[in-house]
Amino acid sequence: MTLEGFPESVTLRDGTSVLFRPMQPDDGPALLEFFRSLPEQDRLFLREDVTREEVVDRFVRHLDYDAVLPLIAEYEGRVVGDGTLHRDRHGWAAHVGEIRVVVAPEFQRRGLGTAIARLLVRHATSLGLDKLVAEVVDNQVGAKRAFGKLGFYPEAVLKGHVKDIHGTRRDLVILANDVSQIWETMEAMVSDFSPAQEG
Amino acid sequence: MTKTEIRVGGLGGQGVILCAQIIGKAASIFDLKHSTLIQAFGPEARGSACSGQVTVSDEPIGYPYVKHPDILVVMSPDAYTQFAPQLKPTGILLYENELVTVDGRLPKGATAFGIPATRFAEELGRRLVLNIVMVGFFTGVTSLVSLGAVERAVRDSVPRGTEDLNMRALRKGYEYGRELVAVPA
Repeated sequence: MTLEGFPESVTLRDGTSVLFRPMQPDDGPALLEFFRSLPEQDRLFLREDVTREEVVDRFVRHLDYDAVLPLIAEYEGRVVGDGTLHRDRHGWAAHVGEIRVVVAPEFQRRGLGTAIARLLVRHATSLGLDKLVAEVVDNQVGAKRAFGKLGFYPEAVLKGHVKDIHGTRRDLVILANDVSQIWETMEAMVSDFSPAQEG
Repeated sequence: MTKTEIRVGGLGGQGVILCAQIIGKAASIFDLKHSTLIQAFGPEARGSACSGQVTVSDEPIGYPYVKHPDILVVMSPDAYTQFAPQLKPTGILLYENELVTVDGRLPKGATAFGIPATRFAEELGRRLVLNIVMVGFFTGVTSLVSLGAVERAVRDSVPRGTEDLNMRALRKGYEYGRELVAVPA
């Protein structure tokens, strides 16, 4: 399975070159290794128990890039990051995409999460989506900053919505990025209206 | 001197002028030819007839108005009705074939190539890139401007963040056009 624009190589700010590509059906073992290497604290915020082989097996066996685009970050042949763009193909939120990103501990605070999110935002925009959302826990300062750089802002807070590994309840922050304005600019551009007629 | 006269016609809101502008920009700035653009708008912001006249030449252009185009690109029935009779008998008609029906108005000897550009644009995600599908189709059928030049002109013309979808729209139209003109094996 291929996707236009990928694979793409990105150099992180420390000079490390990472390869980004969509997940493939034979990525199961490498992906499982990656998820199992994540600290429990990071895994807790994922929606499924990704240390179970059958869960990862389901990910790689039911690939449908139109519904979920899973993007893998690869360094020296191993998975060091995973990001997904989720979208509904019909219904009242078909214009909205959700981005989820998880990064290996040794690659955190090096710009990898931002790079994954940036590629997913670019892809979402190219699909014509109007709005993107991402969920972060209130103490995930780095993630909030990374999404902030891409135009995301806090739109809602669900109080005490998640519990961390110590049983502490924390707020879930829903970040949003309304990318429809770039399409409004494009719409103005194709309006075929003479600037001289304005006003 | 090789001079090609083009008219692009459609309705306000279809991106008619941007389509003409990109063809001219690709020819002049990126293919290093000469080109001129004349734009005509209707009185309303949307839905009124509008058109662009583009001339592309190897040498400086003394007269920019197009009366009898070599290539006519139409995206609406009204544009076809108005401009098809003006096409040169050896000319090429490129038309949105789910909106326009070709009839006896087309001069005998002219060649017509149709594309469902609006549907393609909707399938790609946004109806408003139909004009870029038409630019790609124009490039694929006529080869008047190079694909590389048109790609650069599109990237240079569209808002930041919309490049990917516009490039996919361009390639969709280009490939459809190449297939239509391909010589059967």
